[in-house]
Amino acid sequence: MRVGIVGAGFMGETHARAWAATPARVAAIYSPREEPTRKLAQQVGASACPSLQELIDRVDVVDVCAPTDQHAAIGLQAAEAGRHLLMEKPLARRLREGQELLRACERAGVHLLVGHVLRFFPEYAAAQASVARGDIGDVAMLRLTRGSFQPWAGTAHWLTDESRSGGLILDLMIHDFDYAQWVAGPVESVHARSVRSREADAPGDYCLALLQHRSGAISHVEGAWAYPQPLFRTALEIAGSEGLIEQPVESGAPLHIRLAQQDAEGADIVAPTSPLAEDPFVTQMRNVHDVLAAGAAPRCSAAEALTALRIALAARESARCGWPVRPDELDGEAE
Amino acid sequence: MTSLRVALLSSAHVHAAGWLAGLRQRPEVKVIGVADGDGARGRAFAAAQGLTWFDSYQAALAEAPDAVVINSENTRHAALVELAADAGAHILCEKPLATTAEEARRMVARCQDAGVILMTAFPLRFSPAVIAAREALLAGNLGRVYGCNATNQGQLPAHVPWFIDPQLAGGGALMDHVVHVADLLRWFFGSEVREVYALANRILHRELDPQVETGAVVLLDFEDGSIASIDSSWSRPPEYPTWGNVKLEIVGEGGLLTLDAFRQASTVYRRGMPGAQLAYWGSDDNQGLIDDFVDSLLQGRPPAISGEDGVQASAIAEAALQSARSGEPVRL
Repeated sequence: MRVGIVGAGFMGETHARAWAATPARVAAIYSPREEPTRKLAQQVGASACPSLQELIDRVDVVDVCAPTDQHAAIGLQAAEAGRHLLMEKPLARRLREGQELLRACERAGVHLLVGHVLRFFPEYAAAQASVARGDIGDVAMLRLTRGSFQPWAGTAHWLTDESRSGGLILDLMIHDFDYAQWVAGPVESVHARSVRSREADAPGDYCLALLQHRSGAISHVEGAWAYPQPLFRTALEIAGSEGLIEQPVESGAPLHIRLAQQDAEGADIVAPTSPLAEDPFVTQMRNVHDVLAAGAAPRCSAAEALTALRIALAARESARCGWPVRPDELDGEAE
Repeated sequence: MTSLRVALLSSAHVHAAGWLAGLRQRPEVKVIGVADGDGARGRAFAAAQGLTWFDSYQAALAEAPDAVVINSENTRHAALVELAADAGAHILCEKPLATTAEEARRMVARCQDAGVILMTAFPLRFSPAVIAAREALLAGNLGRVYGCNATNQGQLPAHVPWFIDPQLAGGGALMDHVVHVADLLRWFFGSEVREVYALANRILHRELDPQVETGAVVLLDFEDGSIASIDSSWSRPPEYPTWGNVKLEIVGEGGLLTLDAFRQASTVYRRGMPGAQLAYWGSDDNQGLIDDFVDSLLQGRPPAISGEDGVQASAIAEAALQSARSGEPVRL
């Protein structure tokens, strides 16, 4: 299986490392940024392609790690050429684009997998499995927190441009929106408040969202791009009719190293890490490989990724208009 | 005033013994006895605490106490506040002051007319950790506050059945606990809540067929533009190592402040006891509250918590219940 990675940024590198642990081979890299592309291609022994079409021509699977607003165009081109797709989350910037991607992949008979990697983080996967087994009865209250510093603060990076990335809600909180629907089922309505929905140029962003699930369960989702560097924190709690699962902030960190001499330099972007025999991105990529090579079931279906996008877009709309928004009633123009 | 005679009106609330213990720490205070609308409960409380028993509220008030502490069921606060105010007694009332803003306002007006103090029991304002958090905020360490994610989750107080009786409690988990943190946030931010949204359900403790919400979370919009959520669910199972928590995580332009008000506890494991227990060793917030109430009367100054504080917290809880019913945000 030959894989082509579109994008040579943080996620492109992360995916390239993860693919290395599978039988698949990263054969091609393309991004419009020549130098990072050449560097990543050299690192993984792939060809640096001068165009997207050339990458598509050389591979069986296109792994899209490009900026969110380009997902749809890249994905449609790859699908029309009959290539399987792994799309980094979020599926697309706009609902209509997500819908088009699903239709195009169905038409072309290719897989559309979406990198909702949280489903492969062991504490999240174990809690979901516990709920699915009935260990804690019916879910009443699901609490999810995810926060970091503002990535690429003060730069012209695409992530800081909401029209391109969808901001905190679409880029970061969508992890937890997807997880919430995985654990507690379909979401009827979303009510959200955020800093940047009121003040577009605030230095940080912070959002609180409440989800009403069809089952009666409630999800509370907190997202922050406002912490001091290099803080990244997540928390998970599920209260059910028969029990409680708690994973408070930092409780899953078995190792802390506190040095007298600290490197003051912070990263531009980080992913949460806990020392594990297998990186969750690798676990995800092994699943992706097994789906494509051996017909295994995907952990996250394209339809679920589209629903996660709907929930996130509903949160953005609710924060804008001030009222609860039903994800099912969003029109294609939602962004 | 150099000494105080205090009567307890009702022992319905689980905090009654705590207030009594606080009063007994003060040499200037003499607790003259307890009355209770439920004779059996009141007699048992009086006997257990070594208190004089009055067989009616009127009998207790006929002793002309300087002050009373009201520990009745939530919806019975108003009637007792009016009785006490008419008798000229200053009042410390268990939270929530009332289950509707309108009723709370009437109570405050009645006390103003009678010239007596009406203090609502929000003991968290006397937690040293809470005070330190507020000082950090007031010093501007966080800059502009974006928002706060708070929990005041607890175990369902199953041993006191009125807590899940809508007629007596006026609500469930939301009415019981939202007011504590709502009051702290008003105090921290120096700003009022302008809009309330809430979701609630009855999935936890389904075995009790609860007629009130057992799971609830509210989302508050403050006038200064900050946002906050409070999860007041009865989501700690009976097996949980402690009664619950009060946690606030406040995010602002300048960083992150996390407050876990009951973190000062050791974990204790005992042979023959299932699971761990948390043994709290932090300061006694209840004593701070009692001291402020007593000192305000002795010194003739207003207490730290005003009637308006009680009204606003009740208004938030009432609006939250209304929002949970309608599915829409409620303007205050």
